[in-house]
Amino acid sequence: MEKMKLKLLYSDLKPELELIEKELEQAVDSESLLLNDASLHLLQAGGKRIRPVFVLLAGKFGDYDIELLKRVAVPLELIHMASLVHDDVIDDSEIRRGRPTVKSEWNNSVAMYTGDFILARALERITEIESPRIHDILSKTLIEVCRGEIIQIEDKYRLDQSLRDYLRRIKRKTALLISSSCELGALVAGTDEKTAAHLRRFGYFIGMSFQIIDDILDFTASDQELGKPAGSDFIQGNITLPILYARQNPQIYQMLRDNLNQDISDEKRLEIVRTIRTSSAVDEAKRMSERYLEKALKELDYLPKGPAMKTMRKIAFFIGKRKF
Amino acid sequence: MNGQQIQSKIISMEIDVLKAVRQRTLDQLTEGPFVKEARLFFLLLPFFNGEQWSDKMETSARTVAIVYAALHAHDRVKEEMPISKEQQLTVLAGDFYSGIYYQLLAEGKNIEMVQKLATAIIQVSEKKASFHELAIQQPEQVEETATVIETALLNAFYKENGFGHYKQLMEQSLLYIRYTEELETLKKGEFSYLLKLLSRSLVHSTFIERWLVGRLEALGNEILESINDCELDFELKNILLHQIIPHRHSAEPLTREG
Repeated sequence: MEKMKLKLLYSDLKPELELIEKELEQAVDSESLLLNDASLHLLQAGGKRIRPVFVLLAGKFGDYDIELLKRVAVPLELIHMASLVHDDVIDDSEIRRGRPTVKSEWNNSVAMYTGDFILARALERITEIESPRIHDILSKTLIEVCRGEIIQIEDKYRLDQSLRDYLRRIKRKTALLISSSCELGALVAGTDEKTAAHLRRFGYFIGMSFQIIDDILDFTASDQELGKPAGSDFIQGNITLPILYARQNPQIYQMLRDNLNQDISDEKRLEIVRTIRTSSAVDEAKRMSERYLEKALKELDYLPKGPAMKTMRKIAFFIGKRKF
Repeated sequence: MNGQQIQSKIISMEIDVLKAVRQRTLDQLTEGPFVKEARLFFLLLPFFNGEQWSDKMETSARTVAIVYAALHAHDRVKEEMPISKEQQLTVLAGDFYSGIYYQLLAEGKNIEMVQKLATAIIQVSEKKASFHELAIQQPEQVEETATVIETALLNAFYKENGFGHYKQLMEQSLLYIRYTEELETLKKGEFSYLLKLLSRSLVHSTFIERWLVGRLEALGNEILESINDCELDFELKNILLHQIIPHRHSAEPLTREG
């Protein structure tokens, strides 16, 4: 339902997004039946396609040409997909978007090859663009995303980490790829530097807000809505913003400390989820997300008014209020 | 170029790779980037043999080595779940190295090589995936699988830089080395993915061993022919036969004429 609402917001882009969906399917077509199945398995699980959407919307601020923009939009989504397959190996996740993960349907090795295959397809596709600037931005983003993931592992189970640690991590893990989606869309469409910079910053702030909401939803949404067990972040040792706020309460801190990195029962998991959900941590985290949202909206004020700006604003609001 | 110079160039390439992918956590907690010496030797073979060698080629060669290291890291991820912290970081090390390969080539504006290497990674991934498919591969198909896994990246480099005349020698040699390793594994009573694939058509270990020994013998002879075709200098031939290619004890001593 929520995903449908989001799709309604960018219904103007429906034909283009259908084209991108087709291109994604073509991109993962492989001689190997196994890689084909594994990649399609992932692709058909759906997703918000938020990165391609931002590429296209940013493109509306310049000379909009779907043939050019799809050359960036498709690789960006593929890069995101490749990282998800490998993340599931790292986190030992069984379920994603309500479906078994590649590593659980097959095994870790197949997940490794699938991720490598999809990333290589992304790079193969992006080379259709000659602009060195595009490659410079994207390659740096890829590396930073990896650094973010490495930091996430370093920070795992570290209940005493700072807010700064958390923000630094989600910046690299999520915000940069969304920021680059906006910037690359703008550059491919030939906008001026100022517009591209505002769009990049918009993407960054919206990405931060998006990830914070994602981290909140891990505690506030149901297993069914999430397509995975609620509280997975905590189980996997990822200390997210709601946990950082909740730990300020000594009793909750003790409970988190006692159960962190333990093989806990489902009952215990739900108790932890309930405790965080009913604490003030969720509201505090929401406020932080809203602050990023406001910053994102401020960036839009610098952009020329029009339908693209309107849609971006709507999406920004939706991200701030989404339920899963 | 003598043996010492060759060895020192290989080590210098290893150091360059290490420097390019340096990352504190990965350095501390993972095995670090690893590339088989033989692959580095063939990557640098045109240089050793006096071919024109530009800075662009050097960077390009380094990125090939980095991609080999990336794929090697992912090969090290175990099938059993859940994986350890070291293994989690090994997954990320592979991804990180891939990012570095792209960045290095993007900085040098060598986008064509990004594309060629990406295509090679696709081929390698497809062949590796076949280890996990149920289809039976005939030994010739298994050989093709092994050849692609061992050589697709190097071929991308040779093609990019007009070094196609080394292709045959490189393919035969890397396959020879792979089969030697597989034979040793088999003798220990262990089964690698490649051996498991072979066992689907050859069934019994004795048949697999016989097939490997036969291929090693044939490849050994083909290598000798290819060495002459490549017009390598005497030192280089010697190093290739006696240092790079293992266990070629039966290789006849070379004369200056080849």
